[in-house]
Order: sequence, then structure tokens, then C-alpha cells
Amino acid sequence: MRQGFRQSMAWLHAWSGLVVGWILFAVFVTGTASYYRAEISRWMRPELRTVQADPSQSAERAVAFLKARMPDAAGWYIEFPKPEKPVIGVHWWKSLAGPFHQALLDPETGAPTAARDTKGGDFLYRFHFELSMPPTLGRYLVGACALVLLVALVSGIVTHRRIFADFFTFRRHARSAQRGWLDAHNVAGVLALPFHLMITYTGLVTLAPLYMPWGVQTAYKGDEIRFFTEAGMMPEMPVPVGRPGSLAPIAPIVAAATARIGEAPEGMAIYSPGDARPTVVAIFEEPHGLAHLHPQIAFDGATGAIHGEAGTARAATVTSAVMVGIHEAHFAGPVLRALFFLCGVMGAATVATGLVLWTVARAPKGAQAAGVGLALVQVLNLGTIVGMPAAIAGYFLANRLLPIGLADRAAWEIGSFFGVWGLVAVLGALRPASRRWPEALRLAGALYLAVPVVSALTTGEHLLRDTRFLGFDLAMLALGAGLIVAAHKAGRRHASARDSRRSPGMTGEEALRA
Amino acid sequence: MTPLVVLLNLSLCFAGFGALALSLDRHHRDALGGRVPAGRIVPQRLGGWALILLSLAAAVALEGWNFGPVQWIGALTGAALLVVALLSYRPSWLRPAALAALPLGGLLAPVVWMS
Repeated sequence: MRQGFRQSMAWLHAWSGLVVGWILFAVFVTGTASYYRAEISRWMRPELRTVQADPSQSAERAVAFLKARMPDAAGWYIEFPKPEKPVIGVHWWKSLAGPFHQALLDPETGAPTAARDTKGGDFLYRFHFELSMPPTLGRYLVGACALVLLVALVSGIVTHRRIFADFFTFRRHARSAQRGWLDAHNVAGVLALPFHLMITYTGLVTLAPLYMPWGVQTAYKGDEIRFFTEAGMMPEMPVPVGRPGSLAPIAPIVAAATARIGEAPEGMAIYSPGDARPTVVAIFEEPHGLAHLHPQIAFDGATGAIHGEAGTARAATVTSAVMVGIHEAHFAGPVLRALFFLCGVMGAATVATGLVLWTVARAPKGAQAAGVGLALVQVLNLGTIVGMPAAIAGYFLANRLLPIGLADRAAWEIGSFFGVWGLVAVLGALRPASRRWPEALRLAGALYLAVPVVSALTTGEHLLRDTRFLGFDLAMLALGAGLIVAAHKAGRRHASARDSRRSPGMTGEEALRA
Repeated sequence: MTPLVVLLNLSLCFAGFGALALSLDRHHRDALGGRVPAGRIVPQRLGGWALILLSLAAAVALEGWNFGPVQWIGALTGAALLVVALLSYRPSWLRPAALAALPLGGLLAPVVWMS
């Protein structure tokens, strides 16, 4: 019975991991990159320089812009400039169902900035939980995969026979390829196990209200906004009267909000700005702590008087906010962020080594030909494990190479992302199995190494002259070098494995870098 | 002084994991040659676990119950990865590195405490 249980868990682990592995790899890679979302966004808008901006003045400029753009909007949102995004972000929408429009304004003039049109790090961030699909569909798909990942994690722990004895074991020169891959999979999985469990679980909790809306729907019957008010997440708001009116000057409201909390808000939301009773909500940066809860103050937009404040959140709300907070790690300083990044890379490595291990364990022995299923998994593995990182390098390169004035430039950047991904996957599929990995890895490495070079050539800024993007450039060089080393090892592995007819694959440590 | 606390956590966890790894025959053979001397296994394991727990205690004492455990978990993974990397590429460095990490942790503790 015991034996049977462990075997059935091993089966469950192998197949559940395979089914969701490719999506999970993409989710891990983009999620890990999102720890540096602000840094990526800043690199992708090199025209922007840090400026000192006064929030009241920024708010006035934003309101002037929004009034001209959509005076009868359902809502506006104004993001104040901050060091990592030194522009005024403005958003406006006619209905909550979308479309949502946005623009970046120069804090000094209030006119749209000259910065290139790009989604920046936000694209990778949203891809992490929406996969560039219609948002609801993407979130459901990622949620389903995360759920299966929890199953794979638990069944993996059960399957792993000797967690302590093999805790540090990574046999680089293992006699069988399968042994080496299994070691790599175990090391990446076990050493960061607390992180893997935490990130999967908190990730699911982050989107839980979307997956399980019924409790709130049943209790609040169409008035779900009231749920957020009562849970202490949103302040009580004035109700629009349906007559046109005008908005009180915004600068005194910003000043009153600042005086109340003791710091300037990070953004202002304005609902029904054209109504006789509009609402202005000041939203503040989350206080230092694990919880992801933003203090908010609502103002009557016609008079500028304070209408209400977000109440005190109770246990359930705080619990959920802490989980979201831990998932996003906004609280983490540079060292801890780097450790989280490392854990994320290990998550991606666990998935990648698991996928490769699936094929290695099922490789035909002797002269037998590989079946269609195995060949398909091998091709998809390469397309994802190398294609996805290469696509990110392609996205960065497109940011520097596409003409600044190109129409729909941001969409072209995203197109380049998918273009490079598809290209690597198709080229990989067309090449013979023995050359596929080294060639694709070399290509991906070359793309990363090209990023700082192309950036220096197109912007005139390089790491020797301007240290603004030093960290970004060094990260690109390190990733590129890692991929080239991986290509070299994958090639060598083949040269030595050809006689013994071992199945294709790299050695373990490369996947750790991928 | 969060970066220093993370460094303190890393050095304590690294020394702890180093002691645990060297209490296993396979890694002892790679790092120092031969099996683990019989009398060493238990003290090394106890010492290793104690250092890891000490690191958790330090994290909680210095960063509180909310940030402390989160940082500790990050440091735990980083330190373990370092041990595995050394065992794979430079096994003979593991013992000196773990022994060096101990005084580093001892040195950091008062610095962090006072700042």
C-alpha cells in the first residue's frame, strides 16, 4: 500500500507537472522579472529623467489635461511622479468595462511626454497573470495552473524519498543524464521550497475574489462596492446626482489630504468628474509593513470637503492584504529583493528541469525511434525554456530599435516579443535534436549580450559614461554569459553522450541559469 | 539596517548548512575525504540546526515577527544554494568558508544590534 501510494504520487507529479509546465515556466519567468518591474520600465523610457515635482501642481496639470480629453468620464486616475517613474500618469475611462485610456505627462509642462511609447515592465507584469489573453480568461488559466502546481508541489514532496540525505546533492558528473537532471530538479525545488509554496499559495489568494466571487455576490446583491467599504479597503463615497456640475480646484484637496496623513498621496482617483457631485479619492502609498493596503481619503469633489476615510481593516482583510503583500514583496529592500529574485529563478529552474526530466526519463533506449508524443514534448520544451527568455531579450531590443515615431509602437514591441518566441521555437523544432539546445541557447545568449550594445548605440548612453542603467546592463550581460556557457555545456554533453545514446539535454546547472 | 541583517542571516544559515552537509558521508568524502568520524555526526547536526534556529531568532529579534521570518526564508535558500554550489565546484572550500562565516556572523551581530 505504501509503495503503491508513493508510486501513484510520482505518477501524479510527473503528469500534473507536464500539463501545466510550459505555462508555469512563462509565469515564473515573467513574475521573477516583475520584481524589477520599475527598473525595467525606467530603462525602457530612457528619455525620462528624475525631476522634483510638486503633487498639487502635478494634479492641476493632470486635471487640465483630462478635462480636455474626456470631461464626462466615469473616472480619471492620476499617478504622481515618483523616482522610478518620473512622469504624471493619467488614466481615463467612460465605463468600468473599459476601454481604459492612458497617457504620460511631463510634470514640468503638463503636456504628453516625448518618451517612447512602450508598456515597459508592465507588459511582463501583466503577462505573469494574464498571459496577454483577455484578462479574465488569462487569470482563470493561470489560476488553474497554479492550483495544479500546488498539487505538483505536494505530490513532489511525497515522491521525494530522501529530502535530508539528498538535500545538498547535485552530482555534476552523474553517470546517467537522468540522475543529473533529477538532482538539479530536487536542488532547485527543495532549497527554495518555502518560497515555492508561499508564492503559489499567495498567488492564488491574490486572485481569489475573482475565482470565488459568490460569497460577496450573495451577501451584497449587486452592491459589491459596499463590500470593499465595509471591509475597510475603500472609503465611503458620495453618490453622483446625475446633473452636470463642476469639480472644485484639485490643489487644495491634495494639500488637505497631505496634511491629514502626513505625506503626499501617490495618486488621486476622480469619479464622475462631470457630475454635480463628483468624488475625489486620495490614495496613499502602503505604510511600511507586509500588508498591501493603501490608506484612502474620499472628498466631496464639488466642495472639496472630506467625506470619509477607509476604515480600519479587520483580521480577514489584513490577512488577505498580507498575502498579496508577500507575493509582490514591495516591502523588500535591495538584498532581500535579490534573494526573492533568486528564488524565482529557482522556481523557473524547477519547472524547466522537471520538463526536461520528463523527456529524459522516457527517452527511447538503443536505436528505437522517439514517439510522436515524446518528440512533441521535446520541441515544446525547447520552445518554452529557451524561447521565453529569448523573447524578453527581443522585447528589450525592440524597445531600442523600433523607430520612436512608429504608430502603435508599444504593440510592435509586444509583437517582437512573440515574434522572437515563435522564431526560436520553430527554428528549434526544425533543427536536429542533437544541435537544437546548444544553438538555441547561443542565440538567446547573443540576444541578451546585444541589449546593452544596441542600447549604447541608439541612446548614446553606456555603462562607462552614465551609471543610470548600470545594474540593468550588468544583468543583461550576466544572463547572456550564462546562456552562452549553458550552450557550450549542452554542446559538450552531446559530444560525450553521442556514443552512449543518452537523450538530448543539458547538464543541470544550465537550467538553473535559464 | 536590513541588508546587514540579511547578511547576518546568510552567514549563520551558511555556517549551519555547511555543518549539516559535512555531517553526511557523501559530502564529507568530497570535501575532506573519508567518512564522517563517528563522534562528529551528532554534534555537527545539532550545531547545524542550532545555527539555523539562531538565525531565525536573530531575524525575529532584529526585524520583528512580520519581516523577520520572511527575510529568514530568503536567506535560508540563498545560503543552501551557496553550499550546493561549493560542493559541486569547490568542495574543499566548504569547511573553511563555513568556519569563516561563523566569526563574520559574530562580528555582524553587535554591529547590527547597535545600529
